[in-house]
Amino acid sequence: MNNRDIIESGILESYLLGLGKDHEQEQTKQIVLADHTLREYIEVLENNIREYFDQKSVNPPSQLREVLQLRTLKSETRKEKHVFGKAADSQNRQSGVYHDIEVNDTHIKVHKYWRPAFITVFILSKIFLIAGLYYFFKSASLENENAKLRTQSEQVR
Amino acid sequence: MNELERINKTVDQNPSLKSTEKLTSIEVYDKYGAMAYGIILQIVPQPHLAQEILVNVFSSPQLQLCNSYPFTFAVCIIKLARMKAMETKGKLLGIAPEKRDLGIYEGERSPGLVFDLAFCQGYTPEEVAEKLQMSKSEVLRAFHEFFKSYAITNAAKL
Repeated sequence: MNNRDIIESGILESYLLGLGKDHEQEQTKQIVLADHTLREYIEVLENNIREYFDQKSVNPPSQLREVLQLRTLKSETRKEKHVFGKAADSQNRQSGVYHDIEVNDTHIKVHKYWRPAFITVFILSKIFLIAGLYYFFKSASLENENAKLRTQSEQVR
Repeated sequence: MNELERINKTVDQNPSLKSTEKLTSIEVYDKYGAMAYGIILQIVPQPHLAQEILVNVFSSPQLQLCNSYPFTFAVCIIKLARMKAMETKGKLLGIAPEKRDLGIYEGERSPGLVFDLAFCQGYTPEEVAEKLQMSKSEVLRAFHEFFKSYAITNAAKL
């Protein structure tokens, strides 16, 4: 099979787009890497393919970039947690470096323990309110009764 | 001018077709995000799902492998975006590849249709050949014809 046959067979397109089976892909890769002309053709083909998909491109919403930034940062931080003994990392941690991220989000994010704390405070406030009202009315009724008894005892005298 | 001469000319004009610098996920996203989103939408037309896949593509560890890919970054992104979109589409439909509809297609067998079946719908070249009642080599040749005719049309426009 000469270079022209290889080019016209379409195996290079199939290889670049990952449409073939793994062993076919590997075979084509070896053929391409071994031949200078085919490597050059692949570069032109890559350009054609990129231009084709560039024409079909659609701009994603701008918020996605922020989501991606956050996700990348999260995974980097997770990685850093498992890396020990790196001078630069420990320096960063000691100097308390913060990453500047602009997030277009109207929600406040708090620690998960805030939820039970808030619920506890809410329930306690309700209990104190009910207890307060109960003792207020109770003392009012006792005062009334006291006044009644006082008038009764005065009348008896 | 034959095809090989055209290649040599283009390569001479663009000596630095392949970039060797290492890019971060955000830089790659800025450069190829729109292209990847377009590809994903061709495969999974639901925008919300497509956006989730797009974020997965650019935050996946496989993206770093593109830095050591022997050819250009763009093609590596195209492959990765397609692979992730196909994975999601498969999960969404819950259909195993072997259970797909391989009914014989009766209409016109254009290179565009062959490309659409293989790239966007995820059929293997063997399945496309079976569906369109062609040989596998004809299917592969159709890929070549598809990009060749695209390059000719594009050159004519310029």
